[in-house]
Amino acid sequence: MEGHSLLANYNVQPRVWDEMFGKDGIRPAYRNVVSAIQNLSSDEMTHKDELAKKLFMSQGITFTVYSSGEGIEKIFPFDIIPRILEAAEWKHIEEGIKQRLKALNIFLKDIYNQQFIIKDGIVPAKLIYSCPNFIRQMVNVEVPFDIYTHISGIDLIRDHDGTYYVLEDNLRTPSGVSYMLENRSITYRIFPDLLPKNNVRSVKDYPDLLLKNLVGLANRQKSDPTVVLLTPGIYNSAYFEHTTLARLMGIELVEGSDLVVDNHKVYMKTTTGLKQVDVIYRRVDDDFIDPLVFRPDSMLGVPGIYGAYRTGHVAIVNAMGNGVADDKAVYSYVPAMIRYYLNEEPILKNVPTYQLAIPENRKLVFENMDKMVIKKTNESGGYGMLIGSAATEEEMESFKEAIEEDPRSFIAQPIISLSSAPCYINGVLQPRRVDLRPYALYGPEGIDIVPGGLTRVALKEGSLVVNSSQGGGSKDTWVLG
Amino acid sequence: MLSRVADSVFWMARYMERTNGTLRLLRTNYISSQDEVQDFSWQPLLRSYSDASVEEIQAIGNDSPKVLEHLLLDRNNGASVFNNITRARENARAVQDHITKEVWQCLNDYYHLIRDKNIHVQVKQGDPVTALDSLIYHGMLYHGTVDITMARGEGFNYLNIGKFLERAILSADMLNIKLTELNYNLQQPVEVPALRYLLYSLSGYELYLKTHRGNFQADHVLQQVLYNDNFPHSVSYCLKQLFRYFERLESESLPESYKQLEFLIGRAMNNVKYSSIRLSDSEGLLNFLYQTRQELFGIAAAFNQYYFGNS
Repeated sequence: MEGHSLLANYNVQPRVWDEMFGKDGIRPAYRNVVSAIQNLSSDEMTHKDELAKKLFMSQGITFTVYSSGEGIEKIFPFDIIPRILEAAEWKHIEEGIKQRLKALNIFLKDIYNQQFIIKDGIVPAKLIYSCPNFIRQMVNVEVPFDIYTHISGIDLIRDHDGTYYVLEDNLRTPSGVSYMLENRSITYRIFPDLLPKNNVRSVKDYPDLLLKNLVGLANRQKSDPTVVLLTPGIYNSAYFEHTTLARLMGIELVEGSDLVVDNHKVYMKTTTGLKQVDVIYRRVDDDFIDPLVFRPDSMLGVPGIYGAYRTGHVAIVNAMGNGVADDKAVYSYVPAMIRYYLNEEPILKNVPTYQLAIPENRKLVFENMDKMVIKKTNESGGYGMLIGSAATEEEMESFKEAIEEDPRSFIAQPIISLSSAPCYINGVLQPRRVDLRPYALYGPEGIDIVPGGLTRVALKEGSLVVNSSQGGGSKDTWVLG
Repeated sequence: MLSRVADSVFWMARYMERTNGTLRLLRTNYISSQDEVQDFSWQPLLRSYSDASVEEIQAIGNDSPKVLEHLLLDRNNGASVFNNITRARENARAVQDHITKEVWQCLNDYYHLIRDKNIHVQVKQGDPVTALDSLIYHGMLYHGTVDITMARGEGFNYLNIGKFLERAILSADMLNIKLTELNYNLQQPVEVPALRYLLYSLSGYELYLKTHRGNFQADHVLQQVLYNDNFPHSVSYCLKQLFRYFERLESESLPESYKQLEFLIGRAMNNVKYSSIRLSDSEGLLNFLYQTRQELFGIAAAFNQYYFGNS
């Protein structure tokens, strides 16, 4: 790579799949981009980097961190070099996610109704009933079109040989899709012409597809049902996303206090009185959505909304109780679900997962703790996690204790190294670990996945944790046509 | 429109109008503090635009940089420009889907501007007028952005209702502050600089000169600030505009709510219109300003009750 000043210091780590560099040099998908940027001076690159930051700041694409009583505006770190997927790779991912979601949906329908999968001995009953996110109130609730997971974000990672694995299915209220849209709009500002030249597929259909699905769920015979987005409010870290989506779909953004329930119907308080609501895209968690049924101290929800949902007067997206399907211990049964419900072989692999409720697994994991990632089944956002290779003896011991105390709440997985992608950090192009979260929309007419998604980056050198709450950033994600 | 949204749009507009008013007032007062060292005092202004205690206000005294810092940038002063802009933005943030992206970005930029180090340095050590000018300029950018991007719907009506209501209150308040400085004693034959500064603060000096060339009289100033319908800061003009935007809400209002507000606004308008205030009657003037303010606050409270669902 002589003469390519930008690439001169790019060192791929051994046994890590790099998205840009293969064993024959730069991969075809990246060639256009590399030739466009390799001759830019570091001043120009730094200027682009600063421009991106400025655009995020002035557009208010920020989240607020509260410390010492005062809010500080932070931007979600953005890396300017796009992550690129080829058409064939994308096709594989798309088919794999569709298959998986189909199975997970049937699973939710089954588990909250007849429970064939338990009766046939595929999934142990104990595992389901011990899951805190199995919501008894959802048993025998009729859900419109039998769809539970209207919006999901499936996290994918790549091992050292480039194989895609599903790391997590986020089926509750996955966030980040606004960054998929905003990152794209920033990219065409900082790299003019590069998108059309590379024939990058557009992601801008996402809000239209989502709205179409939401409108399709309305139960009233009406040509323009009222669809709203329920947000926890301006102090929520994803508030920017809520406003963006509401604006792009042209629907009302409501808070819990804007809604009231009367006679099992949901209304919003307007300047002209009450107006009935047909569909709610909620970004409030199950626990908080109805203080009469779930947490009684919740100020974010709407008293009585569960009753309205159960009687079919309002559609709620995503359905309640989805947490039982993306529980980290239930996760290990997803391949079995695909075989059981669809009679197909899984297209996307699962990361091998050891349930620590099983004594043999526990023994095996304790012996090989330095090669394992241990996660709490019920947490996300990179919390409640131990990466064996980076943990101290003490941390390991305290995890062991916690596991012995409550083995159901933990799983272990071998450390998968995660692929790396080029990032422009401190004026140098360097490899950093990434994952990929495509967003799937499941509506009455089937599953749509916009070609793209959110690539999350672990910005710290050598780190494997991409979560934004743990110092992760994001990249624009291109799918080539 | 959601009641909460209407409420937030209304308050966003009020905070922005208040910001603009305060900034202009500070600018003229600062300039006069440099010019009229003899008679000048910041105290009346501090009493109106600070929520600090009497002792704290006295401690600040007449130290112009300190006063400016307190009224402009002090986070602990609930009425400071800093807090007004922050609150305008908080309100805008909660209704981002009802204002245009341009308006939101403009307010967001405004918020970042008043937190900017340069502004703070200018106010504390440099030339405060430069800082005030750039803040005033950004406020005008906001008004222009609202004008050319916002749809003329319900949101726009609430925005203007908030704006003109606040402006009427500000004009009445500023007049009151200046008259208090003069102890409501307006029989002095000599020209009163305070009233000239009032006109500067309300962007009305040029209009005054065009109307009464070379003839500066307190009575004319009073007439302009209260009654001149060509003057966008006169109380009469603001009330007429308020009524105009309110009338547009009729088709989107509950009839009884509309009736309540129509009565209150109509009464305030007519009380101003059919008053005949003369300088010679200082007690009448004092009462008139007090009554007008009460009526304006009554209108705000009625909106809160009948349209924003806060009883």
